[in-house]
Amino acid sequence: MILIGENIHIISKVVSEAVRNRDAAAIQALAKAQAEAGADYLDLNMGPARKDPEELGAWLVQTVQEVTDIAISLDTMNPAAMEAGLKLCRKRPLLNSASGKADSKAGMMPLAPKYNTQIVISVITDRGCPPDVDSRVESIMDTVAYANGLGIKNEDIWVDPIILPVSADQKQVREALEFMKILPDLLPGVKSVVGLSNVSNGTPAPLRGILNRTYMLMLERNGLYSAIADVLDPELIELNKGGIPDIRELVGHVMEGKTVNTDDLDERSRSYVKTARVLLGETLYSHAWLES
Amino acid sequence: MEYKAPLETYSGSVKEVVIGKGDRSVKIGGENILPLHYFEGKAANRPKIALEIDDNCAAGWSEWVLEPYKDVVADPVKWAKKCLDLGADLICLRLESTDPQGANIPADVAAALVKKVVAEVSAALVVYGCGDDKKDAEVLAAVAAACSGENLLIGPAVKENYEPLAKAVAEHGHCIIAQTPIDINLEKELNVKLLKQLPPERIVIDPLSSALGYGMEYSFTIMERTKQVGVIHGDFAMQMPMIADLGGECWKTNQARAGREQGILWEGITAMSLLLAGANLLVLRHPDNCRMIKEAIDGKL
Repeated sequence: MILIGENIHIISKVVSEAVRNRDAAAIQALAKAQAEAGADYLDLNMGPARKDPEELGAWLVQTVQEVTDIAISLDTMNPAAMEAGLKLCRKRPLLNSASGKADSKAGMMPLAPKYNTQIVISVITDRGCPPDVDSRVESIMDTVAYANGLGIKNEDIWVDPIILPVSADQKQVREALEFMKILPDLLPGVKSVVGLSNVSNGTPAPLRGILNRTYMLMLERNGLYSAIADVLDPELIELNKGGIPDIRELVGHVMEGKTVNTDDLDERSRSYVKTARVLLGETLYSHAWLES
Repeated sequence: MEYKAPLETYSGSVKEVVIGKGDRSVKIGGENILPLHYFEGKAANRPKIALEIDDNCAAGWSEWVLEPYKDVVADPVKWAKKCLDLGADLICLRLESTDPQGANIPADVAAALVKKVVAEVSAALVVYGCGDDKKDAEVLAAVAAACSGENLLIGPAVKENYEPLAKAVAEHGHCIIAQTPIDINLEKELNVKLLKQLPPERIVIDPLSSALGYGMEYSFTIMERTKQVGVIHGDFAMQMPMIADLGGECWKTNQARAGREQGILWEGITAMSLLLAGANLLVLRHPDNCRMIKEAIDGKL
């Protein structure tokens, strides 16, 4: 699976300070660390970029490209910052992201054909995030049809089903899994991408990794093409390279509904099984899900 | 051919919790059915009703609910006996006067009072602290020790104080009330933590009960889901009986305080609703509701 490094994100205190002070070294350290860890893309998240959007978009892209030649996923809802950054990308970038919202269709989506980028399109519309598989299908069909009308090919579209935190809405976690399974039939040729770590938002920090990694395996099994993820998590990288095959197999068994006897398993394997059951909605989530 | 209605059966069941000892003991839970679905399976124990008393002379109680008790509120022993005469299955003693924002009486004084009530009143006893987590940890541990072996139902244990409280409860042979703020995930988390210190037969869930018009739907939903997760899906950490501590919540509303009949109805409708949601033990204030809800449980209403 293609991994997009998430760690240059404006919500991070280090990043927001570095951006405010235009501290290139701090940003470049994060870029290098993720490149070395094995990221395929680097997500550069500027958030709304209200202040000096053009200058910021350009600065961030240039700063990162000074130390790495990894392709960039440029992440902002501000079209001015987006355009300024896209202009400077040396490799074909990923525009992250557009949606079915009217202002996104009008202001963001046309930048993809203009700069020949690939583009993330989420299931969000002006009505918000669709609550189930059917409404996700409905909204993405509409939005992709609109994008096709602008000359964007399915092959350049990375569909984002929107991942919600398991601690907030367990049902949505399963809905996104289901959606992933049917996506290739709905829109042949499209790719897919998720903001993986969002599944563990709200979960105590030491427990986030196992949720992210388990959900990655589950989504991948249902056909996920790429994830914006914490590439500085070595176990996540290892799993993505096909390592620890017995864990991958166990998670698969849980998804297929096979009986898995956790008593015979080592601690780590048992944790993955418990986590898969929570992510499937088979057991009710609590922050103590690994303890019961 | 005779028509036979299809029946659902479930894999899980609610644990039976015994409160009190000997012939004063009361059992709650033990069912393998959804609330009041007596036709579906085993209902080991019908829901029980505790009438509430406090150690603070019913300060702040509405006149409509004070009326039946007005000559006894200064004496918790007499008050408790009156509640038994009025039909209560258990007594719920709330240690209001331990509140640091109020009279702030020390733990040993509160514990001595509980001991006296236990000695002089032949009833199973629920003891609620004032709700200040630090003071409750201190007071309720003292109560547990003073009434060692009496098998009281003691709480609330919350996220901030459950560890010392569960330790005292386990050591002195009582049951604990696990309280969380109307949140199914936090509820399960606390249960999982408590299960490391106590068996499920010594835990009662308090998901927090809101009054009609003040968020009762939220309490209803959480109780309903708790029961479904425990009984239908067999989640071991969600199979304890539930307490609906609703009397105080109802009688502090302006609507309940506006008049006798409306007040009784306010409490009665909240009680009936939470009963339908799955409460195994109701804490009420007005004796008329004690009678009416019992009749409803027995199918006589």
